[in-house]
Amino acid sequence: MKNSFSLKAGVLPFAAFGMILLSGNAGGLAFAADSLPAGFKAGALSPAPSADMIEAGKRVYFTKCVWCHGVDGAGDGPGADRLWPRPRNFNQGTFKIRHTASGELPLFDAKKPVEAQNDLFATVTHGLPGSAMPPWEGILTEEQRLQVLSFVTTQLVKDRNFTDTKSESQTVLQLADLAPIAASEESLKKGAELIVEKKCVECHGMEGRGDGNAFNLKDDWGFSIQPANWHKCWNFRGSRQDPYNVKNIFRTFSTGVNGTPMPSFADNTTVEERWHIANFVNSLCERDGEGKPLPIDPQADKPKINFVLPSGKVDGEIPADPENELWTKRVRRYVAMGGQITHKPRNFVNRIDDLWVKSLYNDKYVVFMFQWDDRTKSVAEGKLPWAPTEVNVDVKEQDPKTGEEGSIAARQNNYTVYNDAVAIETAIKWKELPAPIKPRYLFGSNEQFPMDIVKWEANGSLHAFKGTGWDKDFEERFDYEENIKLLHSEWKNGRWTVIIQRPLGDKKEQDYDSDTFFEMGQYIPTVFFAWDGHNGDAGRKMAVSAFYYTFLEPPTPQEAYIYPIVIAAGVVLLEGWVLTRRSNKRKAKGL
Amino acid sequence: MKAIMSLGALIGVVGLLLLAGMIVGIVPSDTVRLIEGYMPVQVIAELTLFVAGFTGISYMMSAMGMAFPRFWQGISCWAFVLLYLKFRVYPPIPFSVRAMYGTVSLVAVFMWVSASEEDWKKFKQPIMNVMDAKTGGNRLLRYAYLIILPILIGGFSYNAMIPKSEEPIELRTVHPAPPASTKVHGKTYTLQTSQNPYRVNPEGKYDQEYSNANIVEQGMGRLMKPNANPWDKDAQGYLKYVREGGEIFFQNCHFCHGDNLNGRGLHAFAFNPIPANFTDPGTIAQLQETFIFWRVSKGGIGLPNEGFPWASVMPPWEQHLTVDEIWKVVLFEYWHTGYYPRTWD
Repeated sequence: MKNSFSLKAGVLPFAAFGMILLSGNAGGLAFAADSLPAGFKAGALSPAPSADMIEAGKRVYFTKCVWCHGVDGAGDGPGADRLWPRPRNFNQGTFKIRHTASGELPLFDAKKPVEAQNDLFATVTHGLPGSAMPPWEGILTEEQRLQVLSFVTTQLVKDRNFTDTKSESQTVLQLADLAPIAASEESLKKGAELIVEKKCVECHGMEGRGDGNAFNLKDDWGFSIQPANWHKCWNFRGSRQDPYNVKNIFRTFSTGVNGTPMPSFADNTTVEERWHIANFVNSLCERDGEGKPLPIDPQADKPKINFVLPSGKVDGEIPADPENELWTKRVRRYVAMGGQITHKPRNFVNRIDDLWVKSLYNDKYVVFMFQWDDRTKSVAEGKLPWAPTEVNVDVKEQDPKTGEEGSIAARQNNYTVYNDAVAIETAIKWKELPAPIKPRYLFGSNEQFPMDIVKWEANGSLHAFKGTGWDKDFEERFDYEENIKLLHSEWKNGRWTVIIQRPLGDKKEQDYDSDTFFEMGQYIPTVFFAWDGHNGDAGRKMAVSAFYYTFLEPPTPQEAYIYPIVIAAGVVLLEGWVLTRRSNKRKAKGL
Repeated sequence: MKAIMSLGALIGVVGLLLLAGMIVGIVPSDTVRLIEGYMPVQVIAELTLFVAGFTGISYMMSAMGMAFPRFWQGISCWAFVLLYLKFRVYPPIPFSVRAMYGTVSLVAVFMWVSASEEDWKKFKQPIMNVMDAKTGGNRLLRYAYLIILPILIGGFSYNAMIPKSEEPIELRTVHPAPPASTKVHGKTYTLQTSQNPYRVNPEGKYDQEYSNANIVEQGMGRLMKPNANPWDKDAQGYLKYVREGGEIFFQNCHFCHGDNLNGRGLHAFAFNPIPANFTDPGTIAQLQETFIFWRVSKGGIGLPNEGFPWASVMPPWEQHLTVDEIWKVVLFEYWHTGYYPRTWD
C-alpha cells in the first residue's frame, strides 16, 4: 500500500509536467494562427507599483544606481563617460533582455519577484555580464530590488508608460512551456545552415566571433555597438549567470535586443528552427578538452583561472602549424586580461579580455601559441610616430567628464588605428629573488630586476626588449633577436593565432643579464600583454594579465617507479608483523 | 518522536544525496547557491540541517534494527567533514588549511569514539574482528586488505612523486604596517595627526559625530539615511563632499573595486591579488582614514615587500588625482559602506 502510493506520487508530477509541455506546444501553434509569433501568447500589463514602493525605491536608486545612470535616469551619471557600453538611458523605456516581443516593454511586476515573469527583476538580480552592471543579488534584498525598479519604471522611464493599455501591449514568449530540442548532431547541422540562411553571420561573423559588420553598427543613441561573440557566452548580456543554458540564447533570438540592431527572429523562424540555431550558437561557446562547459567562477561569472601554464616536452622540432597534433592535443590555458589601469594612459575599455595560451619546448627552444578574439585585424598605416622601444608614447586617456559626444562610447571605432600586438613578459634573474618576490609586473622594477619582453606586432615585427620600469623606455636586444622566431601569425574570422619561438636561455653564451632562463621544473613568473589596434591601443594603453607561471614539465624521474614499490613492500612487512603479533597475543591468552 | 526523527532522516538523506550529486557532478554545484552576504549563516544553517539529518538517520536505522556500527559512524562523519570542506565551501579552501581542519576533526572523532572504555571497544571491534579473521567473510576481507593496502599506498606515493604543476602558494599581507608619514604632491602628511579635511558639518567644522550620523545604514542593502541624500541640491558640508567623492570613485575606482565597493569591478576577474572588498568588515572598517589615504596615494607600487608591490595593479593615485580628490574618495568609501573609520584613541 505504502509503496504503491509513493509510486503514484512520483508519477504525478511527471504526468503534470508532460501535460504542460503538450499544452504549451499546442498553445504556441494555436496562437501562431492568430498572427502572434510562434511561441508567444498575449499577456496583460501588470498593475502600477504602490507609492510606498516608489518612494522606497528612490532611496535605493540614489544610494546605488545614480552614480552611473544619472539623476534623471538618462544614463549620464558621473561614471558614464568612461564606460562602454554606456549605462542604460531609462528615459525611452528601451530594455535589452526581455520575454516580450520586439519593441515592447519588458515584463515587470512590483509584486512578483519571479525571474521568468519579471525581466527587469532578473536583470538587476543577475546583472549584465560584459558590461559594468553587476549582479545585485546578495547586495540588495528582493524587496529592495523591486522597490528600485518601481522607481525606475514609473519616474525615470519618461517616454512610455508601463500601465497604459492604450499605448502598450504585452506579447510574452512562453519559454517555460517550450521544450528544448536536444543538441544532437542533426540539430547542430541544421543550426549551422540556418545561421547562414537567416543572415546571422553578416554581423556575428562566419565563425560567430562578432567580427561581421563590426564597424557600422549603432545603437538607438548613435553609439557604436559590437555584435556578440558567440565563443564567450559568459559575456552574453542575457546569460543570467547561467552562460551555457541554451534557453537564454533562444530567448534573445526570439525577442531581439531592443535599442540595438539585433532584431527579433520570431516572425520568420519556427520554434523548432530557433532551437536548432540556439543549440548551434551554444555549441560554439568555448569548452574544455573533453567538450564540457568551462567551469565558471561564481564570484566573477567568468571561466575559472589556473595560473600555471604547463609547457610540454617535444623531441625534435616544434611544429609551426597550429593544426599539428602536438598543438591540438596540448592543454590550453585561459588567461584573463584586464585594462591597464595603473598608470597613464589608463585603458578603461579593453576590447581584448582574454587570451588562450599553449606552450611546448624542446632542448633548445620554448614556444608559445597565443590565440585571442579580435573583431578587427589592425595594422597601422604608414610608419608609427614612435620607435618600437618607446614606452611613453603620445596616447591620451579618456577624460573623466566629457558629455556624451566626447565619451569613450562615442569614440569607439574612431581611434587612429595602430598595430594589434601581443607580448609575453618573463622575469630575468628570477632565481636571485627569493620567492615570492618578482620584478614588477609592468615592465620590471628597475635596472637590477628587469623583465624580458618579447613583443609581436601585426605589421610582422618581432622584438625582444629589456624593461626596467613602467616609465622607462625599453632597451632593445639586437643580438638576441636573431634567436627568436615567429613561427606563425594569422588573423582569420575574428581570431588571431600567433606562435613565437624563443631560446630556453640556459646556454652559457647567452646573456643572462637580459634574458630569462627557462629552467625545467621551475615556476617562471610570466605576464601577458595585448593591444587592439582599432581601440587605439599603443604604449601603456593595453590589456594586461596577472602574474602566471610558465612551467616546463620535467619527464618522470626514475625514482618515481622505484620508491613506491619499496614502500609497498615495506607495508606488506608491517602488515605481517602486526598480524603475527596479534595471533601470538591471542595464543598467549588462550594458554 | 519517531515522526520528528523520520523528518530528520529525510533531511539527512536529501542533503547527502545533494552533496554526493554535486561531488560527482550530476547535480549542478549551484543548486543551492551560496550568496555572499548570507554565506556564513547559510553554511551554519546547512550544517545544522546535516546534524539533524544524521541524528535522524542513525535513530531510524537503529529503530529498524539496522544500527549503524560506531566504527562506520566515526569514519563517515570524518569523511563528511572532508568532503563538505572540499566541495561545498566556496571560494575553495587551500589544501593546507583543509588538512588542518581535517586533523582537528579527526582528533574530535577519536575523542568521540573513545569517550568511554566501552565506546572505544565498540569502535575497535571491527578492526580486531578482521585481524582475527574468525569468519569466512572477515578472512576474505583480511586478504583483500593485505593486497589492497600496499597497492594503495604505493599508488599514492607514485602519485606524489611524479612531476606536477601546482600554483605556488604565496601568502600576502593585506594590511602592511604604514609608515609614520607620507609625502604626497610635495606635502608631508603625518599619519597619526592628519585628518580628512572634508569630514565637516554644514558649518565647515571638523565633526566626526556629524559625519558618522549621516553614513548609510548597516544591514542588507546599506541604504542611505532617508534624510541624508548626498544628491540633495541643498546638501552642504559632509554630504556634498560625499557626492563629489562618489563622482571620483565612479570615474576611477569602480573598474576594479566594483559598483558596490565589494571588489567585483569590470576588470577585477583578471587581477591577482584581487581588488579589496570595502564592504568586508576586515578592510577599511579596521583601518584609520589616514592609512587609506596613504594606500590610495601610493598604490601598489608603494607597498612594502610583504604586500606584493610587484603584482598589485592598484594605481599610485597621486599620479591621477589631487590630494583633495583622494580625501573625498576616502570619505565616500566610508559613507557608502556604512563603516566608521578607526580612530587613534
